[in-house]
Amino acid sequence: MSKFTRREFLKTTAGAAATTSLGVGSATWMQEALAQTKWTPEKGAKLRVLRWKRFVQGDEDLWMANTKKFTEKTGVEVRVDNEGWEDVRPKAAVAANVGSGPDIIVGWFDDPHQYPDKLVDVSDVANYLGGKYGGWYDVCQKYGKRQGKWIALPLAVIGNAIVYRESHVKAAGFDGIPKDTAGFLKLCQAMKAKGTPSGFALGHAVGDGNNWAHWLLWSHGGKLVDDKGVVVVNSKETIAALEYAKQLYETFVPGTLSWLDPSNNKAFLDGQISLTANGISVYYAAKNSPDPKLQEIAKDIQHARFPIGPVGKPTELMQTTQMFLFKYSKAQQAAKAYMAFMMEAEQYNPWMKASIGYTGQSLKAYAANSVWTDDPKATPFRDVASLMLDHAYSGPLGYASAACLADYIVLDMIAAAASGSKTPAEAAAEAQKRAERYYKV
Amino acid sequence: MKQDDQKTEGMNFLESIPRRVVTLYIPLGIFVFVLLFPFYWMVVTSFKPNAELLSREGNPFWVIAPTLAHFEKLIFNTPYPEWMLNTVIVSVVATFASLFCSVLAAYAIERLRFKGSRITGLMIFLAYLVPPSILFIPLAAIVVKLGLFDSRWALILTYPTFLIPFCTWLLMGYFRSIPFELEECALIDGATRWQILVKIMLPLAVPGLISAGIFAFTLSWNEFIYALTFISSSEVKTVPVGVITELVEGDVYHWGALMAGALLGSLPVAIMYSFFVEYYVSGMTGAVKE
Repeated sequence: MSKFTRREFLKTTAGAAATTSLGVGSATWMQEALAQTKWTPEKGAKLRVLRWKRFVQGDEDLWMANTKKFTEKTGVEVRVDNEGWEDVRPKAAVAANVGSGPDIIVGWFDDPHQYPDKLVDVSDVANYLGGKYGGWYDVCQKYGKRQGKWIALPLAVIGNAIVYRESHVKAAGFDGIPKDTAGFLKLCQAMKAKGTPSGFALGHAVGDGNNWAHWLLWSHGGKLVDDKGVVVVNSKETIAALEYAKQLYETFVPGTLSWLDPSNNKAFLDGQISLTANGISVYYAAKNSPDPKLQEIAKDIQHARFPIGPVGKPTELMQTTQMFLFKYSKAQQAAKAYMAFMMEAEQYNPWMKASIGYTGQSLKAYAANSVWTDDPKATPFRDVASLMLDHAYSGPLGYASAACLADYIVLDMIAAAASGSKTPAEAAAEAQKRAERYYKV
Repeated sequence: MKQDDQKTEGMNFLESIPRRVVTLYIPLGIFVFVLLFPFYWMVVTSFKPNAELLSREGNPFWVIAPTLAHFEKLIFNTPYPEWMLNTVIVSVVATFASLFCSVLAAYAIERLRFKGSRITGLMIFLAYLVPPSILFIPLAAIVVKLGLFDSRWALILTYPTFLIPFCTWLLMGYFRSIPFELEECALIDGATRWQILVKIMLPLAVPGLISAGIFAFTLSWNEFIYALTFISSSEVKTVPVGVITELVEGDVYHWGALMAGALLGSLPVAIMYSFFVEYYVSGMTGAVKE
């Protein structure tokens, strides 16, 4: 039985008395008050946070401004270090293994599921925020929770969408992006015929490549593993997806097999392609460019959700970023207070706005943020968290799912089948073998 | 000398100009082109304005309106000078420390002929073959225990883990090419082992030391994974890590500034090579003849 100290007794009874005397109307005020007292920073606490380097300047500026606000309010000094977004993962692994490093890391995907026993249970913070801000999206719950406990706080989802030139789509005889994969293929074929082809990354593009490859596989009912984590990628659904990929690949601009994350941005802005899958970065690069040609392109850019395949439901993948707190931290209460503070509306809403649509909300209430409506071109990025599946779908998150994603198994399979270097059956069989190696561990 | 010259001239009738072009200049030209083209591309990109970087019009191998904007951004809007200083300090100290240890190790293995010296030499070489991607987690644990995490010392003390095996292996080969007789003469004259090393071996091994030094310096200068994992603070980062952190924003790569950073970062190494290139070549081939 845990000890119940006199101090805790006074706190609880004072809270109960205050609740009774203030009545239901003051519930929100009470939540605020409780939030502030719940995680009282340790005396002399200092925090160190490691996060990914900004996607846009506004994101970093607001993050730092919010951090400064936290320091002013609590007296807790916070140092924020940045690392390239693909480089946070090895640093987090080192911190977890050596038991030293930043108190909080803002990492990616299922990083926390690699070393759950090294992380502090943040269920109290997650439940508080979820209760206050309309709840967490389902996919965020899967990423943040392990065995019923919250081991990380999903901070945001980096949205990905179909980016296209409206005038070129119209010239190809379509009003917009078709909602189904069959129509989408027809659009890409028509665009190719008009000399305004599409192009999707088939090289080892961490974001753009993995995202669209998983969408393609899942949209046809294929998946890497089943609910129990048994590898089932070598299936007739996967073959169907690969046959589709072959047809789609024929509509691409040459060179996509070597494309990395920045390649499609460049090709789009250069006018080599008129349709691709990307974050909102292409649009903002064009919009903010002093070059009048690019500004013209910006006016013509539109975004749309990925089409729905034979499975009949959205099957998209995006990058999820999470905050997690390590057990070695000597200032765990201060860290929890910081995590909660950064996700409170006063901080989170301006941060989202400054991130100009890169960061989609993980808490449902923030869908009302005006960043999604100020510029209608950002609206398709609003619901990314509700549309996406986790990358381990439909199996559990953990070492194997992370390794399969890092090894580009799905992307390589699609690239091999699309380019014709392997038949769909061969590509699926090879992916099955590669995935089994990881899921055996 | 004269006899040699005559001999060479005597064979010249075989070396017609077309033959020389085919057997020498064309292969050499291809070799130089392949080696220098990336460097040229880096230079051209670092002077291109952003509009030209994206555009397909014009000649991609030339700059139409050169700009220094990327260099300005790099030097004044990022902590690049700080990263450069860190890289210099870490590389120089790690190189000298590694050379010192390697000289002692290579000399001992080659000349003291103790039991197991061959196996020791082989083990040191094998240590070089262990990739850093395997070593970085155990090394990180040691660095943390020593309280050196996130400091230049973390790199200065870990770089020798791959520099010493490499330099030792290289110097072992070089020491082997120095005749024993020189040492034996010194021993007869009453020199100690230390005196032999300092006064006989090292002056003769200068080319070997320089080539090992250049290699060690270049390896430290370019090192990425330890610098990434052991350093968090921007003010202690080295150029390869700092440039990536600051100039890649999601899927937007600031190519101009990235190439400017790569260009400035590669200049010190290129200058070092140009100063010591003759020593370097003789160091690789073994210069002391019996």
